[in-house]
Amino acid sequence: MTTTMTADMTLVHAATTAASQPGSLLWLIPFLPLFGFLINGLSGRKLKSNAIVDTLALGSVGVAFLLTLYYFIQLMGLPAEGRSIHQSLWTWFDIGGAQVMGGLTTYKIEWAYKFDVLSACMALLVTGAGFLIHLFSTGYMAEERNDGRYYRFMAYMNLFVFSMLNLVLGANIMMMFLGWEGVGLCSYLLIGFYFDKESAAIAGKKAFVTNRIGDFGFMIGFFLIFQVFGSLDYDTLMGSVREVANMKAITLYGHTASPTWWFNLIGCCLFVGAMGKSAQIPLYVWLPDAMAGPTPVSALIHAATMVTSGLYMITRLNFIYVNAPMALAVVLAFGSLTAFVAATMGLAQYDIKKVLAYSTVSQLGFMFMGMGAGAFGAGMFHVFTHAFFKASLFLGSGAVIAACHHEQDMRNMGGLKKLMPITAMSMILATFAIAGIFPFSGFFSKDEILWKVFNGWYQHGHYNGPTLNLVAWILGMLGAFCTAFYMTRLIAMTFYGEYRGAGHDPHGLTVPSEAHGHGDDHGQDDHGHALAHDAQGHDAHAAHDHGPTEVSWRMWLPVATLAGLAVVGGFLNYPESLHRILPIVPADLFNKWIEPLLYQVAPVAHGEHIPPAIEYGLMAWATLVWAPGAMLLAWWIYKVDPTWSRAKAFVTRFPNLFRWVNAKYYVDEFYEWALINPIKRFSAQLWSFDTWVVDGMVNGAARVTLTWASLMNWVDEYLVDGAVDLTEYIVQETSGVFRSLQSGRVQHYAFVMFIGFLVFAFWKFLV
Amino acid sequence: MFTANTTLMLVATFLPLLGALVLLLVPKDQRRFFEIGSLLVMIVSLLLSLPFWFGYDRASDAVQWAGAWSWIPALGVKFSVGMDGISLLLWLLTTFIGPIAIACSFGSIEERHKEYYIWMLVLQTAMLGVFITQDMFLFYLFWEVMLVPMYFLIGIWGGPQKLYAAIKLFLYTLAGSVLMLVALLAIYFLQHKATGSYDFSLASFQAMAPVIAQQSKTYQHLMVLAFFVGFAIKVPMFPFHTWLPDAHVQAPTAGSVILAAILLKMGTYGFVRFLLPILPTATKELMPWFIGLSLIGIIYGALVAMIQKDMKKLVAYSSVSHLGLCMLGIFALNPYGIKGGLFQMLNHGISTSGLFLAVGIVYERRHTRMIADFGGLSKTMPVYATIFMIMTMSSIGLPVLNGFIGEGVILMGAFQAFPWAAVVATLGIILGAAYMLWMFQRVMFGPISPVNEKMADLNLREVLYFAPLVAAAFWIGLYPKPIMDVMDAPVRKLVEQITPGFHAAQALAAKQAVAAKLGMQGMTAPAHHEGVPAGHETAVAPAHETPAHGGGH
Repeated sequence: MTTTMTADMTLVHAATTAASQPGSLLWLIPFLPLFGFLINGLSGRKLKSNAIVDTLALGSVGVAFLLTLYYFIQLMGLPAEGRSIHQSLWTWFDIGGAQVMGGLTTYKIEWAYKFDVLSACMALLVTGAGFLIHLFSTGYMAEERNDGRYYRFMAYMNLFVFSMLNLVLGANIMMMFLGWEGVGLCSYLLIGFYFDKESAAIAGKKAFVTNRIGDFGFMIGFFLIFQVFGSLDYDTLMGSVREVANMKAITLYGHTASPTWWFNLIGCCLFVGAMGKSAQIPLYVWLPDAMAGPTPVSALIHAATMVTSGLYMITRLNFIYVNAPMALAVVLAFGSLTAFVAATMGLAQYDIKKVLAYSTVSQLGFMFMGMGAGAFGAGMFHVFTHAFFKASLFLGSGAVIAACHHEQDMRNMGGLKKLMPITAMSMILATFAIAGIFPFSGFFSKDEILWKVFNGWYQHGHYNGPTLNLVAWILGMLGAFCTAFYMTRLIAMTFYGEYRGAGHDPHGLTVPSEAHGHGDDHGQDDHGHALAHDAQGHDAHAAHDHGPTEVSWRMWLPVATLAGLAVVGGFLNYPESLHRILPIVPADLFNKWIEPLLYQVAPVAHGEHIPPAIEYGLMAWATLVWAPGAMLLAWWIYKVDPTWSRAKAFVTRFPNLFRWVNAKYYVDEFYEWALINPIKRFSAQLWSFDTWVVDGMVNGAARVTLTWASLMNWVDEYLVDGAVDLTEYIVQETSGVFRSLQSGRVQHYAFVMFIGFLVFAFWKFLV
Repeated sequence: MFTANTTLMLVATFLPLLGALVLLLVPKDQRRFFEIGSLLVMIVSLLLSLPFWFGYDRASDAVQWAGAWSWIPALGVKFSVGMDGISLLLWLLTTFIGPIAIACSFGSIEERHKEYYIWMLVLQTAMLGVFITQDMFLFYLFWEVMLVPMYFLIGIWGGPQKLYAAIKLFLYTLAGSVLMLVALLAIYFLQHKATGSYDFSLASFQAMAPVIAQQSKTYQHLMVLAFFVGFAIKVPMFPFHTWLPDAHVQAPTAGSVILAAILLKMGTYGFVRFLLPILPTATKELMPWFIGLSLIGIIYGALVAMIQKDMKKLVAYSSVSHLGLCMLGIFALNPYGIKGGLFQMLNHGISTSGLFLAVGIVYERRHTRMIADFGGLSKTMPVYATIFMIMTMSSIGLPVLNGFIGEGVILMGAFQAFPWAAVVATLGIILGAAYMLWMFQRVMFGPISPVNEKMADLNLREVLYFAPLVAAAFWIGLYPKPIMDVMDAPVRKLVEQITPGFHAAQALAAKQAVAAKLGMQGMTAPAHHEGVPAGHETAVAPAHETPAHGGGH
């Protein structure tokens, strides 16, 4: 595995900033977790001690994090225009010539990594959050530690980190696709980790197949990119995109259209891929089901990292989208719709993980809104803040679930704040962040997105039609309101009031627990009651009788760390407008960091400039009125009144509304009815067609041949052979006649001769 | 002695036949002797074939290790052998699958061992012969001889409907071969008319392409159709595929493996070797039909596979789908498509063999292949589950595994030639994931029944015959370049035969290298670079001889 670095990089002309620097240890960042996976996966069953498994799994991700940090610091030392470090390992594909636009390309796809401003942040997130979540898992998966499945879990987690790092660090689209599919596989394996539970296995398959639908769009998208650019390498694409975008027209397949038309097409195709992986309408359905996986998986894959791949891809290929206004409008439309609809679905869920799942879908919608408004930096920044608070919330919910003996229904929780204060405090802080309260991180990222969307409308921006921006902004604001509401509802139901799990239920709020029936996400009835946290030293039954207590440090430490990041993280992208008021915080750090990677267009004369009063006004409105209003409303319904009578009254008043929201608008049922069942029916029909028609023709041909053969046999027996027999008979019979003719008398012969002569003469006469 | 040359090639090819002759002399109750003996013969044949991998001159598109001996001079028939990259890969695939097919038979073959292993060895020589021959007469001979052992393997050691399946396989493919023979003879006599000599050599047939192109359209189209039907039955393409599920389901595991891995490749090999170079113009004219059939095969095979209740039948229909994709790639007629198609042949040989072996494992233990009879096997058979998972993922084209290399490259190639067809084919990979994972879930996941709980995990022998397949899957997935290099020159030659001047188009490599050098700096608005006009970023980049990475060379 040698680097194929060419020496010429050192010869780069001093006056010009090198576009990229070599980095010889870059490959270790993704490969360390791979080694962890290989060692644990291949020998984990034989390893007697879980400590070795832990060391390998955590160590590999931890060292990868440190290495990422090392390269990140190195990157900061480079000039902004040249912040890129790369390493090429080997030639992966060398397929030969392909005729693309402009001529023949002989592009070879390298197995190469590229560490630049975007991938650096993503890699930090993946390894950093990944490490914390691995640490959490060592506590959360306590039961599995003893039944031989633990190594498998840790191995899959490491494999996931490897795939995700390939996705973000890959230097070309094919490498991204490799990671893209790899994380899909790991997601499949981890969702179905409790594979003996039917629903988990089905959820895993659903995730994979739904993602495949997205991959379909992604593949068509990058095939088109290859047709236009003749390359899939990011550097080549970035270096040549301006020339392509400035072309008069592009002709492919005999179709001539403007570059914008083609870029729109590419952008829409790629967005289908993003829809699948980042769970946007209409392909979001797999994500809520994916909660069947263990909770650390939900935190790592389905909140912090994998589901942001779509956002990463759009930012990475922003040069396509900036030149594709229609595609951006599509992104904005779907993003805002998802942000709103998924948030409403979160309002009526009782499963704590389901609430967070819909919340994730909704937040991803917000990120896409940002991208759709052309604010790639803002969208990307929300990826990071969301990773902090949502991972913290997911891990916190995992801690709660573990402490409540695998109970996931919030109606059976309550009052946990007193029992597990650290988890509660962390989750409450994260809730403030996601609700967008100043100065928590969610405020900076979400508000920035909504502001950019609004700005696009107000300024008659060149990206989108203004009406769409306004509609998107309204949907986003409504979504933000719902977000603040359901998160406060979650906190109130879980942490406030009194603990309802131990049979103490004065207001009749609890429901029959599923945790004791067919199992929760741990899915194993034989271990179902065992307490997940290990360091307490309780035996299972004693712990069950005791009720929830604070979890071990392995679990609360990651939760608290991530919550801490969620609190302060927002200052990394402190808005310019606030910087003017409070100059001590540097403004737009993240935006400036990522800017060199964003395709810049020459400034177009905008409409009227937006007055600062509107900006401050909206900011104040969002964080002082709108979000707190929603939180107070939820607080009033679920905390102030411990019987939740107002919520119940609402449900009684609008039973159908509640039913629809609670059933997630019957989207799954609709897909089942409109798509899956027809395909299955059609398959069955095709099979009948295959058996009776296609094969029927073959067997029919055989039958016809056989029938023909027996007919021939009959003919042979009765006609041909019969003819022979007949001839024989005739000969025998006629010979009798001739025998009688051969009489030996001369008169007879003379008579015959005479008759013969007459016949001959007559014949001659006639002819 | 063990350098790649014509003699060694013939030895490796005919060694199995020789082994079969030796085994004939052994008393038939020596079961162990037949098993080990035939395995050893296969392994030696494999080892003898390895020098060819290293000795192959990747820069040349000529037939290498060529040798010819006069055989029937009156007809112009020679015993003429040799290989180029395309045949080499399939030849090596055959020697590679041989030992695996023998090793998987030890447990499953319960009667008439002597005949079984002898037929397996004869089959091996016939298959290897097809790939080394450079003479059409000899080719036809091997092509037909191959059917006989297969007929007996299915007809004697097969399932309940073995005779039906065996006769169907034999007659159906024979019908195709006869059509092919008619076409061969037509070209043979046309050649006599044109050149005055009788010659059966492949080179002379390929040289006939311009002469054939001058014949009437009807003549050309009939020739194409005769070849097409002959090969399409063997592939099999829709609608000529119905012999395949029957043959697969009835065949013993090793029979299915060989059928899937090698026999089906004869058809695709025939397309690449004969139809495309001999009749390029007419093939292009009929291309929409062929593309249509390939696409129907992809989608239709996948949909029908989805609802199969028998695992083996499911895999068999998935073959129809995969080979439809393979044909789509070949019909794209560009380097991506053809190379992808060749890769798909190898990959299908690896992954589908693996899947048939995996089905064979549970069949040996439970004597049923119905999906509904299983469930939760991952719990008691973790090693088996892992291998099955790898083969499943390889079959549905997950990157890092071999399937992706074939599928991805085919789809890219098809997209260059006919984007709409590629879009439809890409839909097929969604279905591919659906039916494979659905089967995997029903067999491997969920609760386990008491009967299945008793099933033993893989033993050492089983792990050993899966291991090469798994290793090959990862090797091709991670570093397919050596294989791509082997097929590079012949494919280049083939593409030039079909589309003269394909590679003469303006090369973009230099331009791309400059762009790669510019990289992220191309994102900056032109105004930031004083004095550099828009669209002329090339001026920014320093002039260097080699691009740093990516870009192209």
